[in-house]
Amino acid sequence: MAINLGYFVRESVVSFRRNWVMSLGAIITIYLSLLLVGVSVTGSMIVGQVVRDVEEKVSIRIFLKDGAAPEDVDKLQADLAADPRVKSIKYTSKEQALEEFKASMTESPEIVEQLEVNPLPASLDVDTVKPQDVMAVVETIKANPTFVKVCDRPDDPERSLKYGQQIVNQLFAFTRVLRVVGVVFIVMLAVISLIFINNTIRLAIYARRKEIGIMRLVGASNWFIRTPFLLEGLIQSLVGALLALLTLGVFESFALPKVEQTVAFLNLSLSPGSMAQVAVILIVGALVIGLSGSGFALRRYLKV
Amino acid sequence: MISMRNVSKTYIAGKPALAEVNVDIEQGEFVFLVGHSGSGKSTFIKLLLREILPTTGSIVVAGQDLVRMKSWKVPFLRRNIGCVFQDFKLLPNKTTYENVAFALEAIGRSKHVVRTQVPEVLRLVGLEDKIDSYPDELSGGEQQRVSIARAFVNRPPLLLADEPTGNLDPTTSLGIMSLLSRINKTGTTVLVATHDREMVDSMRKRVIALENGRIIRDQDRGVYGDGD
Repeated sequence: MAINLGYFVRESVVSFRRNWVMSLGAIITIYLSLLLVGVSVTGSMIVGQVVRDVEEKVSIRIFLKDGAAPEDVDKLQADLAADPRVKSIKYTSKEQALEEFKASMTESPEIVEQLEVNPLPASLDVDTVKPQDVMAVVETIKANPTFVKVCDRPDDPERSLKYGQQIVNQLFAFTRVLRVVGVVFIVMLAVISLIFINNTIRLAIYARRKEIGIMRLVGASNWFIRTPFLLEGLIQSLVGALLALLTLGVFESFALPKVEQTVAFLNLSLSPGSMAQVAVILIVGALVIGLSGSGFALRRYLKV
Repeated sequence: MISMRNVSKTYIAGKPALAEVNVDIEQGEFVFLVGHSGSGKSTFIKLLLREILPTTGSIVVAGQDLVRMKSWKVPFLRRNIGCVFQDFKLLPNKTTYENVAFALEAIGRSKHVVRTQVPEVLRLVGLEDKIDSYPDELSGGEQQRVSIARAFVNRPPLLLADEPTGNLDPTTSLGIMSLLSRINKTGTTVLVATHDREMVDSMRKRVIALENGRIIRDQDRGVYGDGD
């Protein structure tokens, strides 16, 4: 059978003109839900990158007690240096720690000036080759008898250790919550878009019920009758998806660099492939919403 | 062309609309289906179009068993059956030409077929000078001609007409009937459901009379009986 593509496109356009308010409503809800999908996907991409960056920067800091024997400190350093997971070790003396603290308190140096004794402990900064090894190295250090001898709080050696894993864990917990909230919102908006498409298709079917009756009478096949409506739902959701992509693109190329400038210590830029990935996700989402929305409506309102 | 065997149709919890109907209509016949409203004429037509299924019995139309037919095949059955109704069922925003062309477009016929067949069938029904008129610019008889043209443009072997002259005056009705008769002469089987007594009596065709869902008379060259 010769399918007349022009016929289907013409029918969809006519139908859009006939009830464009509903169509616009459908497009806007699809646009918003897909925009939210896009924002949360790109957002989680950025957060993932930030988490990776933070992990890279994670190091272990061991605080040493005042007056720790230098040979014990040297022994601990040697033990750690022998560990293949350890990349580097850096010693910071009490004086250096004070200097660094002064440097970070540029706004109120008088606080530092008023200190009569140096309250800061000396420390060792241990970097691991891989960020995942941080916890294991921490355990090794805890088990090291020399560490217990030189650490700042011999009564509670654990508190003489500081490592970034806590921060990373907190960050992960935060992004998990964010993701759940995002999914709930997306599902809600997806349902709303389905209802909207359902309604526009129902109106379109109602507006064309006479034509449909005659089509049935003369023996138009079911797909011939259905296709214009499916196409209509599909076009609506694809327009919504394209608008969402456009908005994301604008955000990515104009807003993101500005945000990045204000938080320069975080790398917020996206890898080149990720926008393409987002585009694929949004368009597939649009296809699913468009086809299922108009499909439901056809099943309910167009018995053929 | 049409074969009904022991066909009964009972709508939900009521007396049967059709009961134990046995009918054979051969190819090329011209048949009147007569009876009061409520006698089962509409049910008869709907069964032939497979808008509804019989409660019991078998129906064969154009060699196809309607009871066993898969629902996706129904459109293809209807391409073999032209349909004419009392209320014409024309699309008000389409011209005569477009209304007829629509029937061909809807079954996916090519533009070439549309351009050759539509003017031909409009000539056959005598509306070649009204092709650009809209339905509200046509008289009732002309509108019914358009609807007959639409039903016949695909050259179906069977033409069903449900009260085709119900809205028309006697002179116009006569014109419509002679048009249907001319279509019948091309070899098309024509079944006309009507309660137009004069029409049936003047045509002297086969008459099947229904009453309370039963066939009470089936006679060649018959008339609209006294008791009917």
